[in-house]
This record gives sequence, C-alpha cells and structure tokens, in this order.
Amino acid sequence: MEQNNFSFKKYAWNQFKKNKPALYSLYILITLILIAVFAPFIANDQPLYAKYKGESVYPAFATLTDPTVRKSFTDLETGKTEELQYDITDWRQLDLESVVWAPIPYSPDKGDRYNREYVSPFGEQRIKNFNNEIVEAPRRLRHFMGTDNIGRDLASGLIHGTRISLLVGVIAMGIASIIGVFLGAIAGFFGDRNLRMPRIKYYLTILGVFLGLFYGFGVRKYTISNAFENGSSGSWELLLSLLLITVIIVGLRFISRFLMIGKLKDEISVPIDTFVSRGIELLNSIPRLILIITISAIFTRSIWLIMTIIGLTSWTGIARFTRAEFLRLRELEFVQAAKSLGYSNFRAIVKHALPNALAPVFVSIAFGIASAILIESSLSFLGIGVPDDMVTWGSLLNLGRQEFEAWWLVMFPGFAIFITITIYNLIGEGLRDALDPRLKS
Amino acid sequence: MLIAISLLAFVININAPGDPVEKLSNSADKEGAANEQSNATKKVKQELRKKLGLDLPVFYFSFGSKSDCDTLYRVEDKAHAATLSELSHQYGNWDNVSNYFHQLAEVQLAHSSLNMDEIHINLKDENGKPLYSKNEINDVITQSSFDISAMMETASPAVLNAKWESLNKLYTTYPFFGEIKPVFTNAKEKYQFMLENEERWKTYIPTIIWYGLGNQYHFWLFGNGKDRHGVIRGDFGFSYIDSQPISEKIWSRVWISFTFTIISVLLAYLISIPLGIYSAYRKDSTFDRISSIIVFILYSMPSFFIGVLLLYTFANPDMLRWFPVSGIQDATLFDPEWSNWDKLKHRAPFFILPLVTYVYSSFAFLSRIMRVGVIDVFGQDYIRTARAKGLGEGTVVMKHALRNSLLPIITVFANIFPLAVGGSIIIETIFTIPGLGFEIYNSILNSDYPMIIAVFTIIGFLTMIGYLISDILYAVVDPRISYK
Repeated sequence: MEQNNFSFKKYAWNQFKKNKPALYSLYILITLILIAVFAPFIANDQPLYAKYKGESVYPAFATLTDPTVRKSFTDLETGKTEELQYDITDWRQLDLESVVWAPIPYSPDKGDRYNREYVSPFGEQRIKNFNNEIVEAPRRLRHFMGTDNIGRDLASGLIHGTRISLLVGVIAMGIASIIGVFLGAIAGFFGDRNLRMPRIKYYLTILGVFLGLFYGFGVRKYTISNAFENGSSGSWELLLSLLLITVIIVGLRFISRFLMIGKLKDEISVPIDTFVSRGIELLNSIPRLILIITISAIFTRSIWLIMTIIGLTSWTGIARFTRAEFLRLRELEFVQAAKSLGYSNFRAIVKHALPNALAPVFVSIAFGIASAILIESSLSFLGIGVPDDMVTWGSLLNLGRQEFEAWWLVMFPGFAIFITITIYNLIGEGLRDALDPRLKS
Repeated sequence: MLIAISLLAFVININAPGDPVEKLSNSADKEGAANEQSNATKKVKQELRKKLGLDLPVFYFSFGSKSDCDTLYRVEDKAHAATLSELSHQYGNWDNVSNYFHQLAEVQLAHSSLNMDEIHINLKDENGKPLYSKNEINDVITQSSFDISAMMETASPAVLNAKWESLNKLYTTYPFFGEIKPVFTNAKEKYQFMLENEERWKTYIPTIIWYGLGNQYHFWLFGNGKDRHGVIRGDFGFSYIDSQPISEKIWSRVWISFTFTIISVLLAYLISIPLGIYSAYRKDSTFDRISSIIVFILYSMPSFFIGVLLLYTFANPDMLRWFPVSGIQDATLFDPEWSNWDKLKHRAPFFILPLVTYVYSSFAFLSRIMRVGVIDVFGQDYIRTARAKGLGEGTVVMKHALRNSLLPIITVFANIFPLAVGGSIIIETIFTIPGLGFEIYNSILNSDYPMIIAVFTIIGFLTMIGYLISDILYAVVDPRISYK
C-alpha cells in the first residue's frame, strides 16, 4: 500500500531552512556549543602535548579528570628526579623537547604577571624568555583580546565563559520547561471540571501531601542536614525523603479505595486550572530580576543556585502556552477518541496530546534561554550572583566598566552576550514560523 | 497578590542569615566583645528583641510534631533555639530536654561565681605556696566555660559525650571547681535521664499549634500599635548599617526611581507607537526593513551593555565628554535653594544618558509589538470598509486602526512596568543614580537584609500599580470592557 510520505518534522525543518537568519543562527549556536565543550583544549595554559626529558605527556587532558595530577620526570643524563604538579607548573619556562600548545595558550583564571594592569590587544605585551629577560611577546603568545587588571587573558575567559552561559540557558530552561509543561498540561487538559475523583480520594490526597511533607522533610530534617554536612550521602537522604513522600501519597490514595461509602463516594471536581492560573499570575506579578537578586543575596553564591532560581521563576510563559494548546487539543477528535477508547488520562496526555502541543513550547524555550542568559549576565555584571573568582561574560564586562581605558573588556564580552542572545531570539522566531504557521506575522 | 508578596518577603526575611539582634547591637556599639556580655548589653539586646518583635512566635500557627516545644520562640539565642529543637527532635520528650538544658545553663552561670584571685590565694600546698598560677586558673576556667558554651550549641551525641568526659576529668583534677561540680553532675544526670527516657514516637505525631495574632508576621505587617507601625504603614524596621529606620532612608529614593520609570515608559510609548504604525503602514518598504532590523538588534542588546557603551562614548575624557559620568547632581555646584527650574537645568545633563538607556530597554520590545498589532488590524474587514467608504488615509489610520491596535500594547504595560523597575537596578548601578535599584545593590553588598526586603516589597507594590494602570487603560481604550 502506498503511504503518504508527509512528515511534520520534515516539513518544519524545510520551513526552518528557508529562514536564512535562523539557519545561520543555528550554525553559530552549534559552533558555540563546540567551543563550550572543547573549551579546555582551545584555551589552556597547559600544553595539549609536551615532550619533557624524553617522556611524552598530555597535561591538558590529564588535568581534566584530576586537576592536581603530579608526575615525576627523571633526567637521563644527570639522574635527577623532578616532580611536577601540572596545574601550577609554568610549562613555558620548561625546556620542552617538543610541544603542542592550545590555540590560546592561557587559562581564564590565572593571571599573566608580565601583562598586568589592562594590556591592550594592540599594545606592547611582554613575556619572560629562557634567559630570564622580559621581552616583547612573540605573536604566538600574545593576548589577542587583551588582559584585565591581574593579567588574565580575555580571550580565554570568553571561551570558558561560553560554557557557563550556555549551561545557564539549558539548565534553567530545563527546570522551567519540566514545571511549565507539567502544570500547563494538567491545567489545560483537565480544566476546572474534568479532573474528577471521589471525595474521599481528594481529601486523602491533600492529607497525603501534608503527611508526606511532614514525614519526608519535617521528621527527617536533621537527618538530611547532618548528612549534607558530613558530605557524601546528603543527596541520597534527600532522594529517600522524596521517595517516602511519594509512597505516603500513593498509599493514602490506595487506602481511599476501601473507604468508598455513602457521601464519601461522590465525585467532586478539582479546580486545577484555577490553581495553576492563579499561580502563574502571582509569579508574573513579582519583578523577576528583583526576586532573583533578593534570593541570591541571601544564600551562598553559586552558579547552580542562580540556574535553579531562574528555572523556578521562569516557567510561567511555558505553562501558559502549554495550557492554551491543551485547551484546544482536548476538544479535538483524536484526543476524544483516545479517551473513548478507555485509555487512561495519563496516556491521553503523554502519548496523544503532548506531541502536538510541543511546538509553542519549543518556541518559548528558545526565547526563555535568551532571557535566562540575559539575567545571568546581568547578575554577574552586578557581581551579585556568581562567586567572585568565577569568570563569566558578565563579570568580564563589569571589569571593563571600572576601567575606561580597557575598551576591549567591554566590547568583546558585550558582543559575546549580544550575539548569543540574538541567535537564540532568531532561532526562536525561526521555530515559531516553522512550527506554527498560524503565529506567523 | 499583596498578601503573597508580603508573605514571600517575610519568608525571605526570616531566613536571612545571621541574628538581627547581634547585627543591630554590634552596629550600635562596636566595642561589645563577644565573650564579655555584661548584664547591661544583655538588657539592651532584650529590648531590641522586643522592639523587633523577635520574642513572638513566627506565624499565626505552626505545623510540627508532638515532640516540638510550642514556646521555643522565647529562647533568646538563635543557636540555643536550634540546639533545643534538634534535641527535642532526637529524644522526643520536651520536658526532659528543657530540664537538661536549664541545668547546663546553670553550670555556665556558676562560672561567674569563681573568683580567680581567691582561688589563687586560698589554694596552697603544704609549703604555703599557691598551688596554681593565675594563668593556669584562668586558662582552665575559660576552657571549662568555653566547653559548656559549645555543648549548648550542639546536639550531636558524639560531641556531647566527648565533652562530658573531658570536663569531668577537668573538674576532678582541679579542686577549685568544687561549687560547679555538683551542678555539673546534676546536668549529666539529667542528660542521662533524657537519653534513657527518649520518646521518639512523639516526633512522628503531627500537630498544629495556634498562636493567634501575637506573632512576628502580624507584628511585621501591622506593627504593635505603639512605636512600630508595620510594613503596611511604611515601617520596614532598621538598617543593619547605621540602625536608622529604613523607611526614612527609602522614601527620598522612591521618587527618583519612580520618575525615571514613568518618564521612560511614557517616552518609549511615544516613540514606539508612531514608529510601529509607520512601518506597518509602509510594510516591506525600505524604511520598514531597516527599522525592523535595528529594532531587532536593539531588542537583543542587554541594557547594561548599552549603558556602558553610552558612558564610553559620551562621558569619556578620551572620546566625547558631553555628559557627566554619574549621579544626578554635582554636589559641589548644586544648591538646594535654587528654584525648581534651575534645579532641572542643572540636573538635565545627568538625566540624559540614564533616560536613553531606560527608554531603549522598553522601546525595542514595544515597537515590535506595535508593528505586529497594526499589521494585524490593517488586515481587518472594518479597515477595508473604511477605505471603501472613501475615507482619507489619515482618518483610516488615526481613527480606525490606531485605537484598535493599541490593545496589545496596553496588555504589555503590565509586563513593561516590572521590566523597567527591574532594569533600574542595572541602570542605576551603572550611572550611580541614588534610586531604589542602586539602594538594593548597595544593601546586597553590605548584607543589609531589612533594606533588601523593604525595597523588594516596595517594588512589588509598584508593580501592582502598573497592573492597575493597565487595567484602567484597557477600559478607556476598549469600551467593550468595563469593570462594573
């Protein structure tokens, strides 16, 4: 039998390809991802390959797994043994037989003490040669984007900063889309009337949530916090608590089956849509940047915390789109058919409705990543979110703000942020046009 | 909504690290060393606790287990309260825990009765020489007192057992602890009793305790009716830095931020509406294409980048020195006696760069929406009808298209407003404008938590106003919507 060979994915991809700016943005994004993945091999002050005293070593690779790796080298002529700790060795001062440097032979967090105090990309740059003289740096060892006040290489900082920026986008939006899709889907699919359950089950579920929180976190709070303080098993205890909560809720729901008597058996509807919609409105009405800044001011600084907070506060857009799609989809024939065939709600949502609701979600994820990156770089620009020693695009730009001479510290990170945000926005627009022709302006 | 914001601010407030009393009393008198807490400083602290309402329970009710104590909030020291809570959690019986802890506190108290000089003089060996040197006595007493303090801040059985052992040894070696030893033994017995009579089952029974209106949240929100007025009447407590009331520090700054926000949002609307209409009217013309590209680029440009670039170009001695770098007035020139017009004239150059940055951040977003909105309206039937009636293009655009295309742009007013307020942190920091955003930035650098919470609450409130305005504008523009 001849099948109609039309596939939506193929169609969308063809549409996307027609949008040249979006397509090129995608290529740039892939390049950025490659840069982020291979950052330690693109910018590193340790050689990729070096031959020292007759032994071949790969310092840039070795320090990946163990930053403080050590190795002994024996001089064959004098018989002297020398132990090197890779990450604090200045490889440039060693008499290497042969060496392959990374394209940018500097690490982002280590200052070059001969090029401190904002050395311009075009200015004079110095280096110490083997005779311990300070001379003009050869072209190969120049900081081609300049340095900051303590001589850190800007190009290297930018390349390693790519990792943080992309990671922030992906993780924050990962969290946001899990929450957003889940809440949006159940709110849109069930609405206020269609999530029906026997009264007893409803009450026992609420009770289960309370009891679950009580036994999972209330009773075990010291167990968990002590486990985190002692190191290893904290996450495990936390997981155990979550498991306990699930077991309690499921258990109580199971018990409710045996209590179907009289009035308790009556079905009531859960106004899940109202809950979710009010939640979205509430979160939208709080200025997000201020909320994030306030929270990150109170906890210890960490990039992971920033990602989590951004994720936890930016799911509303995704939830709104998902909800709207599900409101539309639940009336369509194929979802009704799935229901009437007796499939469970879960299956109808996940297998039938969800794949058709993802288009706007992808679009808002792309825009969301752009704004997550913007928020993170704003925070590190203000020097609030991330730890002081962490090099990100925003913190580099902040250094430039303090020193008017150092235009390179403003232009390069600024454009890096600008380009990343632009390509995500362009990809978002391209996706919107390709996936959802109705939204095309 | 307001309740939610106040709750959120309050929760953050409660969880802020450090003890507010310590911070405030430290800022009041810096000399008060940690180990020398005289009765006077203790009394000052107690009064402070009362003033801050920290002697009250946290919320209207609490959700805990049967083992928890319902009056734990009365314990003054935060660390002690934490220890007590953990102990009662471990052993289940609050009465025993409390007895043990009181006894421990008495051991601590007994240390003050030891007089170093007396011991030094009275304790002599058979030759009449002092048995212990003053230094030794001092060291031992400090050691013992320190150990007891440490015991009051831990609930770990391993640590406690080690301390029992070492202290017992200490007290047997040095006879001058004579008065303390029975108290200490008593405390140890109470500890053993607590261990033996543990009732862990109590921790598994959930309870709800009702505290009524006398709680910290109620106090924080509504004040106590006397010297404190509560957040709802603009009393946000005291700054950690200089112990001054926060509301006084803040009110002078609110108007600066508010003026900037309002002017910039208005300007952004004034620019983006004609621009959006014109490029939609001449859709696909060169003007439309170029302006769309520029707007798109601006849209992706972070405002802090723009701000720094502007500073670089227009306030840089090496480039153009057109505008001042920071602040809103020149302290050496500014005279508060000036007339309003002179003040404005003096301040204008300070205002331009920040305003441009402010305006730009909402302008790009707005004109994109406006253009799409107008294009949408131009496709409608009533526009075709208007044209078919023979109305002039001007009337069609101004009367028929404009009003209808305003709806989406008003919808986003509610979004623009928090955006502009949030953006103010960055812009005010770049240009050192002494508004709310710069204030929150400074208080974060100085860990001044009451200030952070206050600014957060006020900005949340301003956002609410933004929502209200957009709701009212809705009804003005679209007669179909009414709130009756």
